[in-house]
Amino acid sequence: MATVALVTEGRAKRRTPKHHRLTLALPYLIPAVVLYGWFLLYPMLDAVRLSFFEWSGFRIQEPVWVGFDNYVRLFTQDAVFWTAFGNSVVWVILSLILPTGIALILALGLNRKMVGRNLMRAVFYIPAVFASITVAAMWRWIYNPTLGFVNQFLEAVGLGAWTQSWLGDPQFALGSIFIANIWQAVGFSMVLFLAGLQTVPVELIEAAKLDGANAWQRFRAVTVPALRPTTIVVIILTIINSLKVFDLVVGMTGGGPAQSTQVLALWSYTQSFTNHQFGMGGAVATVLLIVTLALVIPYMAWSMKGEDR
Amino acid sequence: MHTKRILGAVGLAATAVTVLAGCSGAGGGSDSDELVIWMPTQEDTQGTAINALIDEFEKQNDGVTIKLEQRSVDEHKTALRQVAGTDAGPDIYWYWEGSGLGGELVDAGMSLDLTDYYDEYGWEDRFTAASMSGITQYGGFNGVPWSQQGEGIYYNKKLFDQAGITTPPTTYDELAEAAQKLKDAGITPIEFGGTVNWDVMRLLDSLIETECGADVADELNMGDGDWGAEECVTAAFSELKKWGDEYFNEGYLGINNDDAAQLFFSGEAAMSLEGTWYNAQVVDNGMNPDDIGIVVFPTGTGRLYGFGEAFYINAASGKADLAAQFLDFGTSTEGQEIVGSAWAALSVNKDVAVDDSNPLNGIWADLFGQADGGYTNNDQNFSTAETTEYWRIQNSVLTGAIDPADAGAEFQRFRDSQ
Repeated sequence: MATVALVTEGRAKRRTPKHHRLTLALPYLIPAVVLYGWFLLYPMLDAVRLSFFEWSGFRIQEPVWVGFDNYVRLFTQDAVFWTAFGNSVVWVILSLILPTGIALILALGLNRKMVGRNLMRAVFYIPAVFASITVAAMWRWIYNPTLGFVNQFLEAVGLGAWTQSWLGDPQFALGSIFIANIWQAVGFSMVLFLAGLQTVPVELIEAAKLDGANAWQRFRAVTVPALRPTTIVVIILTIINSLKVFDLVVGMTGGGPAQSTQVLALWSYTQSFTNHQFGMGGAVATVLLIVTLALVIPYMAWSMKGEDR
Repeated sequence: MHTKRILGAVGLAATAVTVLAGCSGAGGGSDSDELVIWMPTQEDTQGTAINALIDEFEKQNDGVTIKLEQRSVDEHKTALRQVAGTDAGPDIYWYWEGSGLGGELVDAGMSLDLTDYYDEYGWEDRFTAASMSGITQYGGFNGVPWSQQGEGIYYNKKLFDQAGITTPPTTYDELAEAAQKLKDAGITPIEFGGTVNWDVMRLLDSLIETECGADVADELNMGDGDWGAEECVTAAFSELKKWGDEYFNEGYLGINNDDAAQLFFSGEAAMSLEGTWYNAQVVDNGMNPDDIGIVVFPTGTGRLYGFGEAFYINAASGKADLAAQFLDFGTSTEGQEIVGSAWAALSVNKDVAVDDSNPLNGIWADLFGQADGGYTNNDQNFSTAETTEYWRIQNSVLTGAIDPADAGAEFQRFRDSQ
């Protein structure tokens, strides 16, 4: 018993400095925690709570508990939900392949010593600093069926038969928005990859060269493993940014034509703040949250396991 | 020292919480001489006009201040829902009069019945009959009319001549014939911007009125009519599809109304289905108003398409008398002359002369005079969720994703599920 008491006392003594540091830090953390809780955590949890209610947004009207009815309606009766879901999934998959791949290729290219390297880095990065709604406005003009650059260019080079209503035809609209997304998203991932490439040990590259490894072998066996932490960050950010895509779609098509470019984040907003069906909006937001966590958490867990190894 | 730090930090946190708590309140100034007005964000000319009106009222009423708060359309609608029935709202709010919008707030008890003020100020004698219909439609007197918008077909006389159209269409068949002649002459018959949905909706609403007649259309739009059971609904959607395929500007679903309107202003499109606010826009965009004609959409019912906008006094406001005083000033001859035609070509005050500096204003005066009642845009008749679905179906018919024969039934299924 005395031994236990001594051990406890010893542990308590060892813990004191940490505990003390926490006490000191706590007051400084409180404002941030309050803001985080108020503006992020509470709305998120409230959206989940609302998904089990029917509520039209009138403060005087008590939300009515409907259990899983909103989810049932969403999955079985909402004519737009599955389109939005499918579009979000396609957006994530394409984002992981195209902008990410292009960003890696650009980063590898611009990591070499060449004339105008910094200028080109800046040029490729600039779209990333534009607000998405600005990008949307620019590309809306580029795709304008009569005055836009794309159709006028096609006419000028004798490909008038290829001109389209790029944002007005459900067959092309989502793809057309995605091209604008590639233009905007590539720069950010490129910068991350460029930063990651600075961490690739030059000695290892040189050693691989001496061992007779060709460029592809050096890339696969040295560069790719060294880029692993950067790749994890790029992939997680890409998944998150893809699932929450909103501004570009709002600015270019508003989800149309006929809801064909609708995505989950925008449909959640539309259900809540345009249709005033806050329960349905909360249900869409909850599905989006679950999909995001389902994609990000396993990937993070898997990649961290790799780190440990 | 540590205690001081902790106290300082806790104080900071407390301040943050206090600020946050302060942010959650809205509207309703505590000052007894302050009126709070909520409106959607206004265009430049309208913003200038309302501010001039407020300045003049404040000048004439010493000590009174008016605080104007403007939000985007969606934000405005949402904010009003959040404050309905509470004391956090404005004293006066601006809203559309249709049953799906203004009517919803009347049902929620947010609008003060102004019968006493109508008696006190003699407002019934002040306003035009057309503008009063939206005020009395829910029983009593809800709101004070602010603008009455008529919508019809603006046409380019030169392009009509070029296509061999000698008289403006007075029947739907003549309108369709005119569109075909324009197309044959290589002219875009009519322009629409599909991304905003409500632009093309004007044609669909008018086609429903044309194909179904006034009574059935009213039952469908505002009553319990069955969209899946009426043959005329299929006919209306079929005509819509035909117009979209044959007569609209190329790529209309990919551009908004402002971009589409450029085709009319530049003389590329011969017709535009717009409202009284368009009179100023065509002039601002360099067109000679003498080259433009206006006809009502020839539905055959004699009713004029359009909608009204009103200022309502919040039932929870403790300053209804002052609010009524402001609205009396705003809709008086003096007030209406200050705002001019910033909102509509014609004033809701029947004593205010038509501004003949733009000849198109006089045309609207005649069209209102000839109209046998009116029918309203469906995005005002329907609930907001129904409107979103109506637009989806409208656009799905246009893109070919939904057959016109299935459109009515699909919309009715949605209505039944609500």
